[in-house]
Amino acid sequence: MLSESSRMSSAAEARFRVQAPNSRPREIAVIAVDTTSDRVVRRLAEGTWNHATFLTAAHITGMASPDAGAGSLMNLSGGTADLAGEVNRVDLVVMVASPGGHANAVAMIGEACSHKRVTTTALVVSAATASDDEVARTLAQLRPWSLMVVIANADDYIEDMLMALRAS
Amino acid sequence: MLRKEQNDLLTQTGPGTPMGRMFRSYWVPALLAEELPVNECPPVRVKLMSERLIAFRDTDGRYGLIDEFCAHRGVSLWFGRNEECGLRCPYHGWKYDVTGQCIDVPSEPEASGFSKTIKLKSYPLIERGGVLWTYMGPADTQPPLPEWEFATVGPKQTLTTKRIQESNWLQAMEGGIDSSHVSFLHRGDLNSDPLFKGARGNQYNLSDSRPVFEVVESPGGLYIGARRNAEHGHYYWRITQWVMPSFTMIAPRGNHSVHGHFWIPIDDETCWAWSYDYHPIRDLTDAEIGMMREGKGIHVRYVPGSYQPLANKDNDYLINREAQKAGRTFSGVEGIGMQDASLQESMGPIVDRTKENLVSTDNGIIMARHRLLRAVKAFTDKGIVPPGIDAVHQKVRSAAIILPPDQPFKDGAREAMIARPAVAPASV
Repeated sequence: MLSESSRMSSAAEARFRVQAPNSRPREIAVIAVDTTSDRVVRRLAEGTWNHATFLTAAHITGMASPDAGAGSLMNLSGGTADLAGEVNRVDLVVMVASPGGHANAVAMIGEACSHKRVTTTALVVSAATASDDEVARTLAQLRPWSLMVVIANADDYIEDMLMALRAS
Repeated sequence: MLRKEQNDLLTQTGPGTPMGRMFRSYWVPALLAEELPVNECPPVRVKLMSERLIAFRDTDGRYGLIDEFCAHRGVSLWFGRNEECGLRCPYHGWKYDVTGQCIDVPSEPEASGFSKTIKLKSYPLIERGGVLWTYMGPADTQPPLPEWEFATVGPKQTLTTKRIQESNWLQAMEGGIDSSHVSFLHRGDLNSDPLFKGARGNQYNLSDSRPVFEVVESPGGLYIGARRNAEHGHYYWRITQWVMPSFTMIAPRGNHSVHGHFWIPIDDETCWAWSYDYHPIRDLTDAEIGMMREGKGIHVRYVPGSYQPLANKDNDYLINREAQKAGRTFSGVEGIGMQDASLQESMGPIVDRTKENLVSTDNGIIMARHRLLRAVKAFTDKGIVPPGIDAVHQKVRSAAIILPPDQPFKDGAREAMIARPAVAPASV
């Protein structure tokens, strides 16, 4: 006689798996934090995304204080966006940065996410040709505020990541 | 999640499939050398990537891996007589050498040359590190022999085992790069398994149960770093190597041996989970080898006379609910290998990735899929050699290391992640 584990892990039994959705759609905010990543995010935003919002903090050139959040982000049309409001609305914030250490808005975004207990992921793009020192400067900015850091050689990774996280 | 067509693309490895063709670009482990221990020993059935084959070792010690079935009437050559430099079908006496060439058809006049017209499909089979490796791709693109360190150190420094896993190769491999499950599923083993316990690094694991992960592309695949707090504001890093398509090396602990896996498709619903342990600068002790044979560490105990794990789905993995409740094991299943396999097999033979809900800590898995999809497209469309074939991609090490807080681990552990003969591994 087959054990329960044997019977229930068969391909035939897979037909009886519950087909109802097992998750509500999750919302993701993708925020560019420097000018290189701003270009990547704008290109990405041209796709069709039902559960992702694209924002930029690339205009913040000096170190932004953690409590400077209100109104300090911009949407890709150039209008202002309220950081606290965006963080309140989403399940995950993806901060997109490039090597070189220009991710000045990270502490501000990270603080807002920490306050609201929203998960943060940092994605370093355009890393293939960067020096270790340039990557290190950006990592020093990202690490204190990121629960996951990804360093990708190709800029198209972020699209696959968002698809995998069901942002489409 | 993956779209259905992406899931199909990555999980199907039979002949002619895109992933199957790419998998066939590599030397892959086919069987253990111990399975063909002496010349003229009994042949062994081998199924790899949905191809049924027979392996044998002839009178002169040459290894052969050929089509399982006699060209005459389709009889399995597992029944064959291994004699006088060939495998003879017991039905009508047709005989094949290690290249699959038919060398005798008793019913036909020898002068007719009939046997020369018959040749079974065959693949090269070579021994390295106690493992018999095969290459199943086109002869004109056969790569150099495998250079994985576990297979090139001295024979007393390394031990490899294998077990059948009743799931597709991809969900097994993804378990190997899913670092975030270790703090849960295997938490009971860190201080009890004799092949892990006692390392200073274990204390960092136990005092910081919420590691932060970094995923970095490497030339051959990925570095997956798990970061925990150490003294003086430094970080304790555990860096796993994943090399395409299915090799992993887990970060070492103290002076214990280094270990990892290969996952090789048998067919689309089963795979071989290969497990190796080696030490780059010393022999494994008799005690270590004994413990590995007893199923400690990442190895398993077997149903006698087979490579079927003793705890398997036919006996509900010998689940022990009391041990689960008491916290001796987190899932109730004993042993790291079967803790992984039991859960991966429960997902079904090929998990439906259109329904999964990945989260941020799954970025290692997401990136691995991304790289596999990109590589298979480049290989299929343009014939670009995939990562993991170059010897440089294979001469790698995992590492456990303490680094300053702002240093990229790829930079700080650069030397430690290269396999160098007689150089100790970076371990804490």
